Parts: sequence; structure tokens; C-alpha cells
Amino acid sequence: MNIQINDTPVVAGENETLIEAARRAGFDIPSLCYAKGAAHKSSCMICAVKDCRTGQIIPSCTTLPTEGMRIDTLGDEVVQTRMLSLELLLSDHRADCEAPCTLVCPHGLDVERMLSCYDAGLTEAALRIIAAAFPLPDIKCISCKAPCEKACRRGTIDRAVGIRGIIREICEQGADAATDRREGEAAASGRAGFLSRLGRFTDGEKDRLKASVASPSRCLHCACAGQGGCKLREYAGRMGIKRSRYEAASVSPAMSRQCIGEGMWFEPAKCIRCGLCVYNSANGFTFRSRGFVMQVVLPDENRANIDGSLAELCPTGAIYLDKKKEKVL
Amino acid sequence: MSCTCNNHGEPNDIASRTDAIIGSVGTSRSMVIPLLQALQAEFGYLPSDALKRVYERTEIDGAQLVSVSTFYTQFRHIPLGKHQIRVCTGTACHVKGAGNVFDAFIRHLEIPEGEISTADRLFSVEKIACLGCCTLAPVVQIDEKIYGHVVPGRVKEVVDDFLQSLSEEAKEESRKAKRRAAGEVRLGMGSCCMASGSADIYKELQTASAQLGVEIAVKPVGCVGVCNKVPLIDVVSDDGSIHRYPNVKAIEIKEILHRHFKPSGYLKRMQNNILGHIDIFHTDITWNNVVWKSEQERTGLVSRFLAAQKHISTEGFGVLAPLNIDEYIAHGGFEALRKAIASPGSDIIRTILRSGLRGRGGGGFPTGRKWEIVASVGSRSKYMICNGDEGDPGAFMDRMMLESYPFRVIEGMLIAACAVGADRGIFYIRSEYPLAVTRIRTAVELCRERGFVGANIAGSDFSFGISVFEGAGAFVCGEETALIASIEGDRGFPRQRPPYPAVSGLHGLPTLVNNVETLSQVPYIVKHGAEAYGSVGTESSKGTKVFALAGKINHGGLIEVPMGISLRQIIEDIGGGVEGGRKLKAVQIGGPSGGCIPAELCDSPVDFDALTQLGAMMGSGGLVVLSEDDCMVDVARYFLSFTCDQSCGKCTFCRVGTRRMLDILNKICSGKGTAADIALLEELALNVKRSSLCGLGKTAPNPVLTTLKYFRHEYEEHAAGLCRTGTCKDMVRYVVTPDCIGCTKCAKACPVDAIPYTPYEVHTIDAEACVRCGLCIDECRYRAIRKTGLKENISEYEYSN
Repeated sequence: MNIQINDTPVVAGENETLIEAARRAGFDIPSLCYAKGAAHKSSCMICAVKDCRTGQIIPSCTTLPTEGMRIDTLGDEVVQTRMLSLELLLSDHRADCEAPCTLVCPHGLDVERMLSCYDAGLTEAALRIIAAAFPLPDIKCISCKAPCEKACRRGTIDRAVGIRGIIREICEQGADAATDRREGEAAASGRAGFLSRLGRFTDGEKDRLKASVASPSRCLHCACAGQGGCKLREYAGRMGIKRSRYEAASVSPAMSRQCIGEGMWFEPAKCIRCGLCVYNSANGFTFRSRGFVMQVVLPDENRANIDGSLAELCPTGAIYLDKKKEKVL
Repeated sequence: MSCTCNNHGEPNDIASRTDAIIGSVGTSRSMVIPLLQALQAEFGYLPSDALKRVYERTEIDGAQLVSVSTFYTQFRHIPLGKHQIRVCTGTACHVKGAGNVFDAFIRHLEIPEGEISTADRLFSVEKIACLGCCTLAPVVQIDEKIYGHVVPGRVKEVVDDFLQSLSEEAKEESRKAKRRAAGEVRLGMGSCCMASGSADIYKELQTASAQLGVEIAVKPVGCVGVCNKVPLIDVVSDDGSIHRYPNVKAIEIKEILHRHFKPSGYLKRMQNNILGHIDIFHTDITWNNVVWKSEQERTGLVSRFLAAQKHISTEGFGVLAPLNIDEYIAHGGFEALRKAIASPGSDIIRTILRSGLRGRGGGGFPTGRKWEIVASVGSRSKYMICNGDEGDPGAFMDRMMLESYPFRVIEGMLIAACAVGADRGIFYIRSEYPLAVTRIRTAVELCRERGFVGANIAGSDFSFGISVFEGAGAFVCGEETALIASIEGDRGFPRQRPPYPAVSGLHGLPTLVNNVETLSQVPYIVKHGAEAYGSVGTESSKGTKVFALAGKINHGGLIEVPMGISLRQIIEDIGGGVEGGRKLKAVQIGGPSGGCIPAELCDSPVDFDALTQLGAMMGSGGLVVLSEDDCMVDVARYFLSFTCDQSCGKCTFCRVGTRRMLDILNKICSGKGTAADIALLEELALNVKRSSLCGLGKTAPNPVLTTLKYFRHEYEEHAAGLCRTGTCKDMVRYVVTPDCIGCTKCAKACPVDAIPYTPYEVHTIDAEACVRCGLCIDECRYRAIRKTGLKENISEYEYSN
């Protein structure tokens, strides 16, 4: 099948979709709801391209080329479609990419990760993270006005996590331990990239979180655990999106995590309803309801039917393996 | 988990009833929708124990059960009240204030916020997309009983009447008639007619004829289209002359019959004469009674309503009994089928191609082309589906045709199947149309008995079976690929095309999907030829189109007009002009996929391409007339809230995009919008239209885009804080002017006691408590209550109260 992509002739293989042919020929087309070799249906429209003969915007992930097709992957309309699609998805994405405390720390301390270690009882690991931000025993927090505590989301529910107190506690406990003062593992990586923000908690969410979060530090752990492989963030950053222009009105409950297997989590507020987990599990994940309120759910009795590969497929941090601990350990 | 086995002596009720249903419906994955429908019919909702049983006993797994049972509107997971009140929120009802009616029911029945049922579970109240009785708007259905023209002030009356009718039921008396009279009485029995009391009229006809001692043949016929004049009866006298009585009341029946049919026996005649006279002279009602009105006065309007119409789809209207197959055959029925069977399929397809027939479901794709593609695919087996999933709020022509002309649609389907070589037929009909489902089932059975359906039809080697599938309530299933997905037992997610269903459709077989109205035009074309058909209509749009004419119009109803007629002709000549002598503002055509055409462009012809050029589309055939009292921003918001609710949710632009558009419209309608919001709305609308994948998403922005194009000033006024018509409740407050004489009528009418009872004083309205339902304005004879803007600077604007 002979087609043209951005005026370059490309020979598409039998049963090869546009996105496969284009990527093989070296054209970059982003995609969220498509994963090579996985069952899928067009949903996200990030992979939009323009069929120059009809002028139509089409999803390259499911369209099969026809002889003589001419495709545009770079034009204004294509870019606008992709941008808007991302903006729309982000307007319904109630999640923080990074924890507010980490973002505001003047010394670049990854506060949230440090607190994760603390909550897991890994004092030494917590100390290492602190040491990476400022050489111990000179704890810079003593003179700091603590923007981290002011930014703390827990503060909007009852009162902020006592971050400085916890840092002091860790440092005192670990004072005798031989701490690795290796530097360089510095701050959170994502600060420069796109930042999704959660927005305000509803009253119901406040009550729920107040009642359910009872870790030693009381930290809500706002930072996205799926950070590493979030394509939504990657593309938003690449396309220069600062924030969605649409006022977020979402029905997804923020920070509601559900353990769906050993070390495997599902967080619906981060789901973009692409359906990859639905189409690639047998009697596992499924859709509930329709339209804007449509959700991806995993009925309790179906938990046995899924495995960790779905976390790899998920384009955002909605399904993730609890690797955070492993990373620290 | 509770035990569901039957081994404990105590049979588990839900489990055994569920098992019985599974036994009769089937256990395969594709049976999930019929199975859930049967369960709901049995239990009134879907009990979780029953679903569990289905999971255990069938191929259907948990994921599919959740996915399907939550996708379709029909399925309920919680039990409802004993009696269901359904408030129609179709377009016609919306513009006539259905929202206020719904609120009034909630208030009257004291249903707590967030609930749908009364505390004693006697009633539950819900909104429903469209009951298809647009000419009686606003309409409310309580169980099987339909109430028309329900205003908020009548809500109590309606509920009381319903409760009373419950106790009166069963008091049936039947008397034997003595003599069989020549002639007959024809009575329209479509859903609209039933809604406005045809059932009562039918009963009264029986009673009255018994009293007269004459057995009069009462023949229920299909919809006559004159919905604004129903119940309507035609009396065919002994001599064959026909007298038409529109808007008859039960109380008038006896008199009408008496006039046309002689009672048997001298004594009875005397008695009836005397009784008749007493009736006439001694009851108040008789002063408006039929006999005092001239024939011309009574039927003139109806004749004018019918004059500009042309009947192709509805051929034989008002004459044919819907389920009388002999009569249908006597009127030339199945002649076209015999002709089709006798000629090669390619000839029939060529005839359809030459006729210029285009799909009536909305898109307007040339029907002959579709047939050609299906016919060209080599396959041992092919499907033919008749799409009767009419979900458009404000359109009910498919329902009417299925109810009133079932044989005609079946014949069209048979011809199509014969031409393309299909052997399996499916009628896909919304389950909200129970009468249509029953009639088609019966009609198919009758056809089977006569050898028109089944093996070797009419003695030929053409064999074709027909089954009926009930749609479970999803507008998106009008899209053919979503429709196919739902028959296969999936969520109604549209599929990527190509491959088109014509090549690979239901269960992977070539599938021809045609709309009800399209098929009903086919027999005419085959019988009379492509040229005869092509002589009606315009260059690019041939034949006729059926519309549901409703909204602010004097005479609404179901009309069939030749293509090319102008919208103004429809409104003026057929509809008798705008209701209440108000000025025409716009015509909404094509429902949620269509657009609003402003009054100044209403001279444009009804034509697929002309309408598309205006930014609207033919759509399925809803035609809602809007007057200067209607707010166009609110109309756009209304349609968008419909499509947003009906979006299947698969793709981003439709799922999130329509919702964000609705958010912006809500903001604008609440008076908080800005000029930037209007720009954002327009950008989003254009992109949703361009980047959606199926027809629903691609057309959903049309109502917004056309109103932005033709009524942008109204959006700008809203952004400045003014809703001139006072429709957008958040932007108006009600004030009492000094004209008030203190008669307290408004205070009595107010459902929320926002007007203190202060006789002989100028009344006041508590703005906090006021729900702006408009009852006080309707009650006030002195026009002393007016709507005014919230913002100081706009109170000087004239509100068109």
C-alpha cells in the first residue's frame, strides 16, 4: 500500500495501521490509548492526523491506510486537535504530578518521598534523601519559614503535616548512624516539566481523607506514584501546555486509591478512560455507566483475573505497581 | 454471599425466577440485553442476587454485566416506587416548561433532595427523554396513563386524578348490542391519540352503541397525524359518506352516534331521543357541544392541516387498520414485493438509485448506493436491520410508522432484503415504544401466516426471517455500528469505519441498516417507479419527509411533506402560524444533531443539502417552532445537555468536550459568563465537531454553532447579564408592580409560599424563597408581576413578559 506522510512516500504493510507505518518510517506521532500489540479502540485522539484528501481529522491508531492516501501529521489543525484533546483530558484529571511541599522547598528537598520512607519506617533512607538536599548536620529548615507546611494539602483538611519536626526527628535519630553523604541525587526530577494540579478538595473528600489517612506522618502522599511512565505528563510538557483552560469539574474522587493486587494500585481520578486495561483483561476491568461519568472499575470478584502487565499498559499513573518503596530500598 | 441453591426446602424466590428467565431467554453472551430486560420486567429492577445468578448460570461474565447494565438508560439497579411518574423533557415539552413541571412534582410529593421516590414508595418521579406526544406538551406519564398540557399548577390535580382512576378501574359493564349497523366508526389509536384519551373514546363508543342497541363497527386505525385535533373520529354512514369529528370528548360520543345511526326498535329510539334532548338542554357542556358547530368549522382546520401534505410513507392514512393484513393487501399491499421478487436484485437496486432516495435517519446517504455495496459482497448469509431506535427528543415519526403502518415497513424491508440477498432480518425498536414493538411482532406473525415472511416467500426461492430486538435506551445506538454492538450484547460503542457494516457488520456478516422511514418509502418507489417518485422533491432530495411538528405552533402534529417545501409554508400553511400570535424567532430542525434556523431564513427549502449549508441538518425529523419568547442560549444548552448525557464516553472530544461546552453554557446561562467564555465555547464546539469519531459527536455542537452564528447577540447579552426572555432563571427575579390590587391569587398559587398572604395590599415576593416557576405570572390578571434582571444596569431593559 503506497501512501504519503507529510509528502514523503511510505509503503505501508498489510494490516498495518497508520501510526505503525508512520512510526516505522520515522515520523513521531504521540499516543495514549494505543499500545503496540495490545487490543484497543480509538479514544484519546492524541494520535490525530489529517487525511489530506477528505480534509478529515482521523485517529491514526485504528485507521488502515488506503492506496494513495496522503497524511499530514504536523499541520495546525492536527496540532490543535492534539493540544485540545490533552487539555480536555487534563481538565478531568484530578491529581498532582508532584507534591506541593516538594515543589516549594527552597532547598529542593523531595519532601514527599522523604515522608514516604518515614511512614514506611525506613529512617535511614529518609535521612539519605535529606542529606542529598542539604549537607547534614546543618539542617537548613531551622531558619526556614516552611513554605512546605503552608503548601501542605493536609492543611486544607485539618492541619498541615509537621514537616520540620519530622526532619529534625529523623536527623536526631540518624545522627549516630553512618550516613552516606553522597550528593547529587538531588531534588525531584519533574519540577521543570508539566504539572497537573489537583485543585480543591470537596467537603466529602476532606472527610474521607481525614478518616482514612493515618500514617505516622499524617502525610497524604499527593505526589503521583506513576510518575515515571506517565505519557499524559510527557506530552503535555512537550506541547507546552501550562494548564487546562477549562474549569475542572470532575466526578472522580481525588486520592482514592484501591489496592487491586499485591503491590498493585488503582487510582480512578487519574484514569483517562482509554480502556486499555478493559480490552486487555478477560473479565477484569470494565466500564461502568456512560458519557462524562463513565468510569473504569474493577469489580472485587474480578481481582484474581488481572496481572501486573496492565500497569505497564496504563498510559497514566492510574494503575501502578508500588515501586516507590523498591526504588528507595 | 447468600446461598442461592434450592436444596433447603425453602425455594429461593429470586434465584428460581431468574433461572426460569434464563431458561426461556438463553445463556449466550449476545443475549445479555434481552435477559436483563426480561429480569427487569419480572422484578421491576435488577436485583443484585438475580445478576449474580446470571453470572453463575450463563456465559455472561461479571465485567460484561456491569458494563452493559450501566450503559443503557432502561436498566435500574434500585427498586422504584409503585407508580412511576415520568415527566417528558423532550424538546417540545422543554420549551413549554417541563423543568418547572418536574420541580412541581418533586415539591408536591415532598420527595427529598437527591431521591427519586416518595418516602412510602408509592411514587417515583423521573425525567424521560421523549414520550413522543410533543403536540400535547408538557406531557407526563403515570404508569400507562398519559396526561397532556400539565402545568405546574395542575400537578396536584393530575396526581389525584391518577389515584382516583386506580380505584375506579375494574368497573366495567358490557351490554349486548342487537343490530349490526352498516358503516363504521374509525378512531385513531396511535400513541398520541391514546394519550389524549382515545382509549376512553373507544370504550365510550362501545357503551354508547350498546345503549343505542346498534352494533357499530368501531375500527381502530393508525395515526392520522393531526395530533393537535385528537381524539379524532371518522364516522362512515350507511351511505358511505364520511363525517370527521376532531377533538371529540367521551360525553359527545352518544350524540354523534345517534346522529348517524338509527337505534333499533321504536321504543329505544323514542327513549334515546328524549334522553338526548334532555342531555342537550340540561347540561352545561352541551352549549359547546358538537351539534351546534357547523361541519365546516369543525373540520376546516383539519383539512387545511392536511392539504399541503403528501402521503407516501403514510399512504392509506386514516383508512388502514394497522394490523389488518387483508385490508393492506386489498389496498395494493405486497404488490411491490411480488414485483421485486420477480425481477433481478440489480434491477431493484437500479430503480432505488434512480429514484434518488436518501437515508432518512439523518445522514442522507443515498440508499441505492448502500444496497449496491451490500449486494456486491459475496456471503452465504447477510443481515438486514431496520433501525427504529428513534431517540431524538421531539421526534416520533418512526414510532408512528411502526405502530400505524407495520406492513408497509415490513414490505420495504422484504424488498431491500430481496434486492441485496439478505436472509436474516432484525427490527431494532426502542423499548420505550411498547405499542410499536407489539404491533410489529403481531404484523410479522401475520405475514408469516400468509407466507410473506419465512421460507420461500410468495412461492419463490427467496427466504427471509424476521426477529425483533428491543433497544434498551441509548441515543447513540441510532448510529449503525453502535446499534450492531448492542445487538451483539456489548455497550453501544460505535466502531471505527471502515470496514462499513455493509461489508462487515453484525457478527462479521454484511449488514444493511436502513431507517424505518427510508424503508417505508421503498414500496412506493418499486410499485410506481423511480420516475413517479423522483417527480416529487428537489434536485438533490427526492420524495417526501415526515416531520414531527411541535413547539410554539398552533397546530402541531405528524406531517408528511414533499421535499422542497419551505419551512415557512410548513409553519404557516400546515401549522397555522405561531402560537398565541407571537413572532417567529427560529425553527429547530434535526433535534440534537440539527440546528436553529432563524426566521429570516425560513424561506429555505426542506432539502438535505440546503439545510446542511445553513449549519443544520435534516436529522430524523423533529421540527420545533420557537417564538420570540424562547431563549436561544437555553435551547442550545438544552440540546447539549441531552447529547452530553447520551455520549457513549469512548472518545475524549465527545465525553469531555461536550461536558466542558455544557459547563460553559451553564455559566453563561447563570449570568456569570464573559466574552472570553463565548470564544472558548466556539473554539471547543468547532473542535468537537471536527475531531469526534461518530455521528453523535460530530453533530452534537450543531445547536451551539448555529445559535452562535445566527443569535450571537443573545450570547453577548447573557454575558452582560441579560436574558431578555426571562428563561434563564438565575438571571431574573420576579417583582410586583404597583398595578397589584392585592387579590392574593398569586399568593395562593405560589408553591413555595414566597408571596405573603396580605389581602388588599400590594404583594411582595421573597426573592430568596422564589423558585421562579412562573405560576404567579400565569395567575395574575393585572399583569402586575414581571420578570426583571438581577443586575442594576439592566433593569431598564424591556423584558418580554
